[in-house]
Amino acid sequence: MDGAHDLGGMHGFGAVVRPGGDAPYHERWEARVFALHLLASLEGLTGRPGGRATREEMPPAEYLAASYYERWLWSAQRGLERKGTIEPGEVERVMERLAAGDPEPARDDPGQARRALAELRRPERAEPLGDARFGPGDGVRVRRLRPSGHTRCPRYVRGANGEVERVHFAARLPDLAVYGERPAPEPVYAVRFRSEDLWGRGGEPPWTVSVDLWESYLEPAAPRPAEEGAR
Amino acid sequence: MTEDHNAGAHQPRQASDVELRARALEALLVSKGLVATDAVDAVIELYEHEVGPHNGARVVARAWADPAYRERLLADGTEAVAELGIAGAEGDNLVAVANTPAVHNVIVCTLCSCYPWPVLGLPPSWYKSLAYRARVVAEPRAVLGEFGLELPGDVEVRVWDSSAEVRYLVVPMRPDGTDGWDERRLAALVTRDCMVGTAVPRVPRGASP
Repeated sequence: MDGAHDLGGMHGFGAVVRPGGDAPYHERWEARVFALHLLASLEGLTGRPGGRATREEMPPAEYLAASYYERWLWSAQRGLERKGTIEPGEVERVMERLAAGDPEPARDDPGQARRALAELRRPERAEPLGDARFGPGDGVRVRRLRPSGHTRCPRYVRGANGEVERVHFAARLPDLAVYGERPAPEPVYAVRFRSEDLWGRGGEPPWTVSVDLWESYLEPAAPRPAEEGAR
Repeated sequence: MTEDHNAGAHQPRQASDVELRARALEALLVSKGLVATDAVDAVIELYEHEVGPHNGARVVARAWADPAYRERLLADGTEAVAELGIAGAEGDNLVAVANTPAVHNVIVCTLCSCYPWPVLGLPPSWYKSLAYRARVVAEPRAVLGEFGLELPGDVEVRVWDSSAEVRYLVVPMRPDGTDGWDERRLAALVTRDCMVGTAVPRVPRGASP
């Protein structure tokens, strides 16, 4: 989905380093939303396509105006509603009751806490790599796309030429997998792009950007124009 | 940030709509018996105390002190950090990338906020900010400059956009003047930003050799 989350290269957001920027969150509710969302996902209470892809569905103006954990809150509520764990309107009714002074309920379940921690500490490995179409050093070009759903192919590399730097592992294409489809695992590559192939020449001394891309996003590179090849 | 600590405990302060919604969502799941208060607390505590950049600092210090470990780390990050008992969510495919005199690495997630939790904990707000995600791939030196990091012009900046399930860890260069330091002392030099690539380790002025 070509939403507001796909930010690489955009102008106008100002400084990165600002007061308070060092902390992961600033208010208690933010930490609780983070933990609640993780927990709800681990317990299977949220529906597809998962928190990340749900946040990408936020209308762009809302996405950009929201704080980070407001987006998490948005995707948590929608995920719970989609699964049918909660009904639309339920959260709003509880908001009214809390605003009127109702106490917040508390309930302990050490089993759930233990399960969550075990899951979050658990190592997991990717699928082993099968046949890969490309190898390190191969020239590739990112396909032009305008997917209506989730994708991991950022806009700023589409159509650009790059070079395979690493062949990571195999994984199911998230464009399908987050919606519950089970495509065969395919190779994921780190593709390195020269700054001038992404942004043109000028600006800073040349740099590179490596982006992790599924094989479906890639095709063999078009030959470079001679003048560039002579560089 | 908007919390007014001077309001006193007797007057309920006006909760923002978003905070009220957050409390309501938790209250709803708790009252349905689906989520437990202590489980929410436990997840928060996991990332406030157990998992954090002290883990990554141990890894880097080991890599500095032990060349064979460094090789294993660069060959398979996930396996190498597991040797030190480090594993878990968002660390399944850890790739360690090493800074050299010719190359400086920096990590980002332009689409989201992917970050190697087991070694670095939860990302700072700036890492998740619109500005960092937009700019570091397109003007990395300007961004690094905001952090006070000025690199020589001939150093190649390599930005890693973690758009898949790979999580990157930058292995900074060991600073001069640290010969003979033990791993604990070395680890104290390795800040979170050094492992994201927005800083490099510095030996404090006046440190004893």
